Amino acid sequence: MTYLPFLISGLGIGAVYALSGVGLVVLFRATGVLNFAFGAVGALGAHVAWQMLEWRLPLAIAILAAVVVSALVSFLYGRLLAPLLSRRDTVVRAVGTLALALVLIAVMGVIWGEFPRRLQFPTDQMFLTVFGVRLTYTRILALLLAGLMVGAITALLSRTRLGLDMRALANDRDLSAILGVRIRHTETAAWVITGVFAGLAGLLLGDLVRLQGTFLTFLVIPAIAAAILGQLRSLWITATGGLAIGIAEAVLTPIAAISPYRAAAPFVIALIAVAILGSTAQAGLKDR
Amino acid sequence: MRHYLSGLAAGLALFLISTCGANAAASCGTDGSEAATGEPIVIGAITGKTGPDDFSNSTKAAKAYFDCLNAKGGIHGRPVKYLIEDDQWNPETAAQLAAKLVNDEKAVLMVGNSSFVECGANADFYKKSGIVVVAGVGVPRECFFAENYAATNAGPRASMLGAMGYALDQLKAKSVVCIGPNIPNVGTWSCDGIALLAKEKGFVAETILMDPGTADSTSTILQAAASKPDVIILGLPKGVTIPLLTAAEEQGLNQTVKFLSAASAYDLSVPGTIGPGWDGNFYVNMEFNDLEATTPDNQNWLAVMNEYGQTSDPRDTFAQAGYLAARIAEKALMSLDPKDVTRESTSAAIRQVKGFTSDIFCAPWYFGDSQPRHNANSTTRMAVSEGGKWKVISDCAPSPDPELADIRAFEKSIGLAP
Repeated sequence: MTYLPFLISGLGIGAVYALSGVGLVVLFRATGVLNFAFGAVGALGAHVAWQMLEWRLPLAIAILAAVVVSALVSFLYGRLLAPLLSRRDTVVRAVGTLALALVLIAVMGVIWGEFPRRLQFPTDQMFLTVFGVRLTYTRILALLLAGLMVGAITALLSRTRLGLDMRALANDRDLSAILGVRIRHTETAAWVITGVFAGLAGLLLGDLVRLQGTFLTFLVIPAIAAAILGQLRSLWITATGGLAIGIAEAVLTPIAAISPYRAAAPFVIALIAVAILGSTAQAGLKDR
Repeated sequence: MRHYLSGLAAGLALFLISTCGANAAASCGTDGSEAATGEPIVIGAITGKTGPDDFSNSTKAAKAYFDCLNAKGGIHGRPVKYLIEDDQWNPETAAQLAAKLVNDEKAVLMVGNSSFVECGANADFYKKSGIVVVAGVGVPRECFFAENYAATNAGPRASMLGAMGYALDQLKAKSVVCIGPNIPNVGTWSCDGIALLAKEKGFVAETILMDPGTADSTSTILQAAASKPDVIILGLPKGVTIPLLTAAEEQGLNQTVKFLSAASAYDLSVPGTIGPGWDGNFYVNMEFNDLEATTPDNQNWLAVMNEYGQTSDPRDTFAQAGYLAARIAEKALMSLDPKDVTRESTSAAIRQVKGFTSDIFCAPWYFGDSQPRHNANSTTRMAVSEGGKWKVISDCAPSPDPELADIRAFEKSIGLAP
């Protein structure tokens, strides 16, 4: 069996892992928070989109609503709750987001239940055939979107005042404050940006994987693996890492001995990354 | 006519998950006019409520039936005290709860158990304690290979092979790919059955075991499609089945390959969720009668749920299983002298159950006295997804699982099978 079809099948989800990983890194760089609620925030947005489509509202409104809801939840947490933990260490701040994730899982469970739904876009029906595999336009869109968003964020960081402030915060929070960087404003902006990333990733995962709150919440783990590969700093390495994780999981499929356990690929890759890059990542954390 | 209308109303009520159409009166026990007030008969149950999935619909339905029974005279005036415990999908918890129910609460019988972990953890303990379990839904192999444990459902393997039998007889399948979860004694057990039957009947079978937690269903589907099978049989929870079907549709396989599933995908919401792309292309095995069947016992089940259950209790196959387990227990207990309801007398009465009929079952249910294992429900139906609903398309057919040879031989010996 050839590996090429699996390479294609891994592209779509890999692109979403890339998108998610970059969303995590943007937030981490600006605020020092590793957002475990990223998947849950995206899942909430995707459920909202599904509900809108059930109510026969136009697709554009559903997509917009998903991104707005995700950005809003992220904004509220970033504005109201995250600052309460801003003086605590990285672990505490990360665990704080875990609380948000649990609350969101519960909210989705109460409103929509755990029965998996199907979120469909018209692009699911359109496809190119590559190596005998149908590559749907949704997957191609995911790839384009991942590239576009990384480019946009890179431009934002390097060319705008907000980007400069974010980079300053990433380097030295206290010094930035002395120099007049509006910390809360900048951090809130980062939360909104990560919320937008989460909304888009949630929509794509709801379509490509399945629309189920708990399941999508845990898909933050491959994204964290990608972010670790990028040492929580580099956007492009994170994006490439996310893509590689998606493809790795897919191309392990034809290897009979590993195939039943291939879902563990993101975790194994993250472990290896931590083992190899651990010391440098540690240094990055100490900076904060 | 009135009955037909009330049946229709109950079906609608089921669909809307409301009780508005419940006008058929529930019938339980002797249908006495007075509630039972005597000394309670303690019956236990272990279910996996909290954890990866909620299996407690079975015990909810059994509880509704016992509540109905108690309100209508109980077991010769003695009410049933039904104690339900949640094992949280943890074998250690399951073992502790079994000890609590059997040793501390002095339960005389276990009824309606539905747990993924309990059979493996407690089968030996039940045997040693001399208590019998009339379970609702059994899933892993251990539930069907224990001396004191008899489930009312068919189990994933018998159900999977029921679907395979249909694929062979009606769809004329010559090659098949079986996809199961990589969980020992579940996925391998079911797919091994297909492989065994393939050897016996001379068709081509391949097995794919997958991690139910994978996000990448497309690769699994590509792997299954690579050998160009006539049919693909799934033995997975519905939460994993739906993404696989979505991925298959994305690859256009719904047009070229027939998909079948064990009973785990038989849920009223599945055809609507997977959509019109699967009309006439996705078949599912049913361990019990159509959930909306207008037959008398199925209607009584719905009436019991409406009158004695919660509005929020799902009316699903697990609930059918729990209801049947409670009815079987009632039948056995009714045969006893009400002054002599002990664990010994109850176990003996359950062991004697044979020829228990209900239109929810395909064939009469029996315990199988002195048998080392039990799998009385091994005759199943098939339905196909059509227009957002399941359409029942086959009569009851025995599962062609070669491993059921001992069961079939026993059925012959007691005159149940031809």
